[in-house]
Amino acid sequence: MEMRDKLRKWREDNHRNSEQIVDVGEELINEHASKLGDDIWIIYEQVMIAALDCSRDDLAWTCLQELKRQFPGSQRVKRLAGMRLEALEKYEDASKQYDSILQDDPTNTAARKRKISILKAQGKSAEAIRELNEYLEQFVGDQEAWHELSELYINEHDYGKAAFCLEELMMTNPHNHLYCEQYAEVKYTQGGLENLELSRKYFAQALKLNNRNMRALFGLYMSASHIAASPKVNATVKKANVKYATWATNQINRAYQLAGRGTKENKCSVKAVEEMLESITMS
Amino acid sequence: MAEPELLLDSNIRLWVVLPIVFITFLVGVIRHYVSILLQSDKKLTLEQVSDSQVLIRSRILRENGKYIPKQSFLMRKFYFNNQEDGFFKNTKRKVVPPSPMTDPSMLTDMMKGNVTNVLPMILIGGWINWTFSGFVTTKVPFPLTLRFKPMLQQGIELLSLDASWVSSASWYFLNVFGLRSMYSLILGQDNGADQSRIMQEQMSGAAMAMPADTNKAFKAEWEALELTDHQWALENIEEELMSRELDLDGMFSKELPTGIF
Repeated sequence: MEMRDKLRKWREDNHRNSEQIVDVGEELINEHASKLGDDIWIIYEQVMIAALDCSRDDLAWTCLQELKRQFPGSQRVKRLAGMRLEALEKYEDASKQYDSILQDDPTNTAARKRKISILKAQGKSAEAIRELNEYLEQFVGDQEAWHELSELYINEHDYGKAAFCLEELMMTNPHNHLYCEQYAEVKYTQGGLENLELSRKYFAQALKLNNRNMRALFGLYMSASHIAASPKVNATVKKANVKYATWATNQINRAYQLAGRGTKENKCSVKAVEEMLESITMS
Repeated sequence: MAEPELLLDSNIRLWVVLPIVFITFLVGVIRHYVSILLQSDKKLTLEQVSDSQVLIRSRILRENGKYIPKQSFLMRKFYFNNQEDGFFKNTKRKVVPPSPMTDPSMLTDMMKGNVTNVLPMILIGGWINWTFSGFVTTKVPFPLTLRFKPMLQQGIELLSLDASWVSSASWYFLNVFGLRSMYSLILGQDNGADQSRIMQEQMSGAAMAMPADTNKAFKAEWEALELTDHQWALENIEEELMSRELDLDGMFSKELPTGIF
């Protein structure tokens, strides 16, 4: 049945298209429950999380009841119950639920992460940062957590620490151009000549890993021209950076030419980009 | 030199060879399910999980440290290896070497392993030897020397018989090892009926969970980290990047979901 396969594919790819999951899943559960066999439990879980996303509390409640009936003592089900309480904004009860899971099994990472996201949902970002730091002290390898922490730090404008988190991510995933690019952006925001140089290098790395990363290309251009425009650099560095900036400009032009082939609107945007680039170079 | 061909009664084939195959196979399957039932849960402590992750992080620092700036690499190396308060120097875990005699859970595991695997093999081997004795079962397709005769021809007292003709006991042992691949086909990998693998594990001897080795692992990581140097991979990256034009093929095709940003 294609519906079952679709759900499985979404589950494995970790898609978050909750509305579609709810539609497909609801139909599957109501009409074809008997034909699903043992798959039905994992479908219940998937549909329940999607239903919580779409505020379909009724559907979430039915799924949870079925799962509770089948797996009475399970920690996975307890975590789902906690998530439902979170969705209803009963944060105290949810927190107690997660605490009970952690008492049984201190290594359960899912429960700890839900507790931290409760804090984030309540807006207590300082506490969330503190809890996440503690969590990461124990579980240094959790990349999702590092990424979340870097986001929290960026929101608090603590760019130094955000850069640290992104460095961890870059080390564990050296071929992921998105981390390089994010790191370069953080360094660029921090400012200062050294950081600008670093950010230019990392934009270049991101481009090397993925030639089509337009954001990195623009970033390269901006950082190079910024360094070139800064009064503190000596002549050789300035010349090198102007060279980088011009190269980046050529590539941007090429990209927009490629995009512009055929459509009328794009011709205008190509011209707009050229003018913009010229104006930046002048200043 | 033509060997005298013995013609075996076809009843032998029907009532000996096939039953032995079935018995071995069924016993294996039963063993697999019994081992699943008797398996005890292995609970990891928080400290063990945390330690293993720290080791992984240090290894990654060594391998991929060249992708982060020199300052950051040195900062992390300092955190791990510092003389006074580096992580690897300071953290000593309480070491309880799990010797098989003293650690109760390991003891029961070993006993269960023995009971489920070795005991049935001995019992059934002996029963088959007793039941199906006194006649030749089958012939191995390659010639064997006379030294093998007492081993493979238990119960047959014929001095002139070629060593290639074997008794039922040896056919049983052949089956035990031969059906291993059948088990992995039917029961999936890592099944409890896989005897030869278990025997190999026992021979290699090392315990599975390595709490005793945590200290040693830390020391090894410390040494390795001391030796690593930082070769920044991004040294000449601009030159490399700008030596050729960017490859923008297929960037704006209609089917491509925007992976650009």
